[in-house]
Amino acid sequence: MTLAGFAAKNAFRNKRRTTLTVLSIAVSLLLLTLLMVVWRAFYIDQGTPSDARRLVTRNRVSLTFLLPAFYEQKIRALPGVVAVAPSNWFGGIYKDNKPENFFGQFGTNPADLLKVYPDFKIPPEQAAAWVKDRAGCIVDSRLAAAHHWNVGDHLFIKGSIFPVTLDLTVDGIFVSPVAFQSIYFNQEYVNQALPFMANLDDTFIVLTASPRDATRVADAIDAMFRDSPQPTRTETAKSFTLDFINMLGNIKAFMLAIASAVVFAILLVSANTMAMSVRERIREIAVLKTLGFPKNSILALLIGEAVTVTLLGGLIGVFLASLLLFGAAHGPAGQMLGNLRVTPGVFSLALVAAALVGILSGLLPSWRAASQPVVQGLRHVG
Amino acid sequence: MSQSQPPIVSARHVSKIFRRDNFEVKALHDVSLDIPAGEFLALMGPSGSGKTTLLNMIAAIDRPTSGELTVMGERILELSDRQAARWRNEKIGYVFQTFNLIPVLTAAENVELPLLLTRLSKRERREHVAIALRLVGLADRMEHLPKQLSGGQEQRVAIARALVTDPAIILADEPTGDLDSQSATEVLEILARLNREHGKTIIMVTHDPHAASYARTTLHLEKGELLPAAAAAKP
Ligand SMILES: Nc1ncnc2c1ncn2[C@@H]1O[C@H](COP(=O)(O)OP(=O)(O)O)[C@@H](O)[C@H]1O
Ligand SMILES: [Mg+2]
Repeated sequence: MTLAGFAAKNAFRNKRRTTLTVLSIAVSLLLLTLLMVVWRAFYIDQGTPSDARRLVTRNRVSLTFLLPAFYEQKIRALPGVVAVAPSNWFGGIYKDNKPENFFGQFGTNPADLLKVYPDFKIPPEQAAAWVKDRAGCIVDSRLAAAHHWNVGDHLFIKGSIFPVTLDLTVDGIFVSPVAFQSIYFNQEYVNQALPFMANLDDTFIVLTASPRDATRVADAIDAMFRDSPQPTRTETAKSFTLDFINMLGNIKAFMLAIASAVVFAILLVSANTMAMSVRERIREIAVLKTLGFPKNSILALLIGEAVTVTLLGGLIGVFLASLLLFGAAHGPAGQMLGNLRVTPGVFSLALVAAALVGILSGLLPSWRAASQPVVQGLRHVG
Repeated sequence: MSQSQPPIVSARHVSKIFRRDNFEVKALHDVSLDIPAGEFLALMGPSGSGKTTLLNMIAAIDRPTSGELTVMGERILELSDRQAARWRNEKIGYVFQTFNLIPVLTAAENVELPLLLTRLSKRERREHVAIALRLVGLADRMEHLPKQLSGGQEQRVAIARALVTDPAIILADEPTGDLDSQSATEVLEILARLNREHGKTIIMVTHDPHAASYARTTLHLEKGELLPAAAAAKP
């Protein structure tokens, strides 16, 4: 036997109480892990290498204001710019309004789009077919799998912003490093039906020669249009996404608040369990001291017991979170989740949090018990 | 044991006062005694006379309010808590009336507990545990939990736990108080044998004259004071 083994045995003295504590910690850690996964995806994950080279230019005022189409040529002329493609939100309805039928539809220039996304993997003959097909589209592979689309299928997208229904032929299926949840079609299709759109674009996707050029090019683009009636705002693709997320509210503060509440709740649960468990063993702790156990060993023993419980709960919670994300990624809405997964970093952080909760919650009751005079403890009945 | 050896326990004018809010309990008053090494001493006296208090001070789990107490050359008052714990682990074995085994640990694990604080290897610990349990006649009960043992067996495990570190002194506070007479006799015989064959100094608190008859010397406490040996001689 070892001290650690003794601590573990103590942790399971009251099986029902320990099981309940472990389960509540598991549920809390599941929630905490999911929060950390989302946090990582939003604020830490920098995406693929080419993401760092990619910029999005939009109207400075808001995404709902458009930009003149001729900006595209002017941006392309700037030094450090490799490719520019327009990207226009169509916002149509596929089949119905059910969430599983929601995905992005972007009108663009096929040849340029394939240049700004060099990391899209698409068979060359499919790419060539799309470039030539005015009524064609390419679709994200995960989206295609979810809807059972094949090359040659027709997708009918009913416009809700624009009074047009698109009849698009699936010309190609692309594989991207992160899920895109989108299809791209030839903007010419919309422009033919609605000629005024030919002079306007939502955003421009800009690929720079290297990540080091990104900031300089972004500044140059915005400087070029600063005094025009439609000034621009250019950001990396990542900060563009974040801006979009932040339109929903102060997500960062919201997530921090939930995380703190979760940690505080498990702290209370664990501290309560430890306090009960220690109170029942006042006499036993005095016996250990009589056998020669110094205060530090008693402290280590009791805190070890608390950490055993919280770590076990943590492990179960993280495991459940991984399972949940794995299941969701392979389910009907899977492509929406993209890069949400429990990374080794998130895994370790969740377990560190669980262990810290154990230490903190065990500290006070353990300190009290370990400081109790031996004679007092030996006279304790109950 | 030769008389020229210094006493293993030496108390000089030891008093202990417990203070509770606004009243005081004089648990021990001016107790002086010498206990020679190798002694088997029975400490008798009515309930509340200070027997446990005296035992606890010899074990350095409590300190005298005044007076001097030297155990194995160590002045108890001068030990820090940490030093006292270490000293007790090496030098003192303590047996309680209510056994006080850890319910989730097997007999062998209970006996092993004091050894976890030593530098012994796992194998050495297991050897010591086996020897101690054999000494109390429970070699075949190693893997039993306390609840699977009789009271007498539990107390024998507790004795094995007290002697596994090979301490010089074994303190027993009413070790037969919770036992039937047959189990009591077994326990007393083990203590007597530890004293006789292994030279352990044994200080045993008891109410029971039969238990006291196993000891070589009997001392009586009353209201915190040690009675003169002559006055206590009659039953
Ligand atoms: N920790 C303590 N706090 C207060 N009073 C105590 C404490 N320990 C013992 N006493 C008191 O000291 C006296 C002697 O107690 P004790 O040594 O336990 O007696 P015995 O073991 O002879 O029955 C009793 O009156 C008891 O109530
Ligand atoms: Mg007593």
